[in-house]
Amino acid sequence: MAITLNDRLPIPHKDAEVKNITCEFCIVGCGYKAYKWPQGREGALKNNALGVDLGEQQPTYGEWCSERMYNTVTDRDGKKYNLMVIPDQDCVVNIGQNSVRGGMMGVSTFNATSATRDRLKEPMIYRGGMLMETSWEEAATLVAKVYKRVIDNDGADEISHKTFDHGGGGGGFENTWATGKLFHTAIGTNSASIHNRPAYNSEVHSSREMGIGELNSSYYDTSISDVMMVVGCNPYECQTNLFNIHMQPNLEGATIENKKKEYESGESAQKGKIIFVDPRRTASVVIAEKIAGKDNVLHLKLKPGTDITLMNALVTYIFEKGWEAKDFIKNHTENFAEMYKVNKISLKDAAKITDLKESDIVKAAEWIAKPKKSGHRPRNAIYYEKGIIWGIKNYECVASVVNLGMLTHSVGRVGTGICRAGGHQEGYTRPHYNGPSRQNLAVIDTDIIEGKYLVYSIWATNPFGQSIATERLRNAVTKRSQIVKDAINGYHGNDLDELAEIIYRATKIGGLFVVDADIYPNQATQRSHIVFPAATTMEMNLTSMSGERRLRLSEKVMDAPGSSKPDCLIAADIANALKAEYLKAGNKEMAKRFEGFEWKSEEDAFNDGFAGQGASMASQGGGTGKLANYSNLRKAGNNGVQLPIIKRDGDKLIGTRLHYSDGKFGTKSGRATFLPTPQPAMPAQVAKQQKRFKYWVNTGRINEVWQSNYHTGRLEFTAKRWPMAPLEIHPKDAKDIGVISGDIVQLSNDYGSTRAIAVVTDCVREGEVFGGFGFQNSIINDLCTDYVDPDTKIPFYKGTVADIVRVGRSEPLIKDMTFVERA
Amino acid sequence: ASGHGKSGSVFSEYPNTKIGSLSALKKSGELDFSYPSASSLCKAVFVDGEAKAFSTICTHKGCPTAYNKSAGVFECPCHFTKYDAKKDGQMIIGHATGGLPKVLLEIKGDDIYAVGMDGLIFGRINNNIG
Repeated sequence: MAITLNDRLPIPHKDAEVKNITCEFCIVGCGYKAYKWPQGREGALKNNALGVDLGEQQPTYGEWCSERMYNTVTDRDGKKYNLMVIPDQDCVVNIGQNSVRGGMMGVSTFNATSATRDRLKEPMIYRGGMLMETSWEEAATLVAKVYKRVIDNDGADEISHKTFDHGGGGGGFENTWATGKLFHTAIGTNSASIHNRPAYNSEVHSSREMGIGELNSSYYDTSISDVMMVVGCNPYECQTNLFNIHMQPNLEGATIENKKKEYESGESAQKGKIIFVDPRRTASVVIAEKIAGKDNVLHLKLKPGTDITLMNALVTYIFEKGWEAKDFIKNHTENFAEMYKVNKISLKDAAKITDLKESDIVKAAEWIAKPKKSGHRPRNAIYYEKGIIWGIKNYECVASVVNLGMLTHSVGRVGTGICRAGGHQEGYTRPHYNGPSRQNLAVIDTDIIEGKYLVYSIWATNPFGQSIATERLRNAVTKRSQIVKDAINGYHGNDLDELAEIIYRATKIGGLFVVDADIYPNQATQRSHIVFPAATTMEMNLTSMSGERRLRLSEKVMDAPGSSKPDCLIAADIANALKAEYLKAGNKEMAKRFEGFEWKSEEDAFNDGFAGQGASMASQGGGTGKLANYSNLRKAGNNGVQLPIIKRDGDKLIGTRLHYSDGKFGTKSGRATFLPTPQPAMPAQVAKQQKRFKYWVNTGRINEVWQSNYHTGRLEFTAKRWPMAPLEIHPKDAKDIGVISGDIVQLSNDYGSTRAIAVVTDCVREGEVFGGFGFQNSIINDLCTDYVDPDTKIPFYKGTVADIVRVGRSEPLIKDMTFVERA
Repeated sequence: ASGHGKSGSVFSEYPNTKIGSLSALKKSGELDFSYPSASSLCKAVFVDGEAKAFSTICTHKGCPTAYNKSAGVFECPCHFTKYDAKKDGQMIIGHATGGLPKVLLEIKGDDIYAVGMDGLIFGRINNNIG
């Protein structure tokens, strides 16, 4: 008889501790339940924590725990537990379904004998030529002593930082508040940038300036829309349960009854259609066709960088047909004429620029604007994401989509929305950033390459794989951090004032003092002098907001590894150490700046920030955030409350399903503002590349790989599936290059070079390749130029050009990698 | 975590079950059977000159997959997860957290025996229950 070891799991004991968890990964924010019970103690088949008869085969959609939803964990008191993290059937976001990412939250937790064993566990200091463990006190004190010298002698702006501003894993309102308070107010530096980009900015400046917040709808409204328009995003892979739970039923016609309930009397209600705007035939396109049939799916496979022209053409055609929302435009918007004067473009010209058929542009216009049989205006749920945000010119790219949404009154109405689809969840509450206007923001990573700043603080991100011109950035920081390392290597004493002075002097001769806070060692850690180990989801209580503004408390389930701490308490340690340094120096005025970090727990940080500040700070909670606390959020469970909170009814929080239903927008006039969005010229850096190199390089995410691949690059299932980044190449191009699927290829241009595994497929256009984003062993952003939109400082990550050659092939490397067409 | 199921069998033991003949499988390319119990649908396939077998229940939400013989791919109709039979059930795309559970086979002459499982079957806390 054969016996295997991965064919059974322990039965969760009926007394298992049950906690609510919000998925730490994508913006959709699915709800999960964590069951924790002591090892060596099992439940019974009929009497267990899941409340179902586990002696029976569970039905389709029934409760189940896969091997990767399970782990064993050890708390700091040495007690060992079983842990199951399974999707919550009662959560309205995902109704018991998991994405591949969320379904692996169990196996992603720290386990000293598993793939996650290399989590950072203790603070580390660079001494004697290597990073070695130290105390929290020494790490925070040395950072404080160096920072104080910089602030006093050179000014706080010499302390540059790159810090998460999001919800989900590691982020959340607690941690963004604490890091924001540390850098913006206490240290007072304006040299800031956000985790995935080189400056401190919004990715949706133009939408906000038009008066329309980027998350204005709800998944339910998407499910009852007539038409979903998805621009530059791939929801099957990147917003999984938005697609499967809310878009799919709409395409299947399963939400028609809800439409009838919500629509006006007599209004036509049919199954939904979907339009994709993407240069690739993505999995979402193929699967939507399987669900709805080709007649209900329109894929506008446009030339990269021409989305703005397409949006302008749709606006023009709809206006010429008289299908625009006349009353809405008249009563609730402004600047239409100015916009139209600039944006007007003929179908013929637009088709030429975008490489689309005129008839397809017309079809899209008809779907989203031609009156329905009943004479009512179609209800459109418009989503855009990184294909737009990281497009040719961020400001106009986003504005052009919002123009179209405004023209068709696709905001503030039931069944509509003009939303970013989103990447991670949100969790922003911070003191106001007092840096320069959006046009004058510092581009930190370019500055670092050019030798600016004395300090580079990297917080929960890896810019060396995910910023612009990453090869140049890695090389620059390697060189500059080594100057500090060499200086440290020459000192064998243990006086922290002396050591801080040595570090400070090294920064004045071109060195860079690098401080890293993270959960795993990475390319930032390698270049750091001080490393702080952080806690993440399930290791602390965290609040975040999803893509439909759904605020939840994701509860602490287990202890973080070693002595790792929540980021908010790390920030507090640094602030308190700085306060102590200033008090020691007799500078009470400066010491006062570092007050207000006397937190004992993440709840203290939440109460100080999100729930404490209300509208006085930049907070996604707004003025009514004060109504939330851990107690009522715990009661709200995985369904939480959609921000902004309207009121508190006893312990129950009442939220907001749809924004702008009153027709008042976020501008001074209260009217949404159309913006002129002319098609921009190709940025000079990229235009130069087009003359020298052959292949347009697009990039994006793969379902199984999350962000910088920090968990998924370690887990057996995903690491085997994707040992390196894939590079999709059109069959004709593959023939020209002489590659077949599985070959290793090298891409190179004037910014850098990287390698990837060829995947030959006609889902990409000829002459254009698509590289997987986020891999740390094959970094596609090494090819990315240093261009940023001059108006917003957001990069054009999706546009670079490179040459490609075949390097060779390693069968063992791709042994477990399937090359079957993904969709 | 072993114990006794309702039929009296030990949870950790798998039956040796003859599921069909190799020559028939080579000819048809696929063979349906249940293992380790009647409610667990499985399929043996003949790909790359080899007999392989899998639980056909998608490990995302338990929908029965359909086998696309020409592609050697198991396809879930509910949420479109796909698995590659030629790569030991590796997930091609979708929402499962792993490949399809494999049925371990032994070939004796022309007879194919299922002798165990590698991977947890959807809907079970233990493959020998249900």
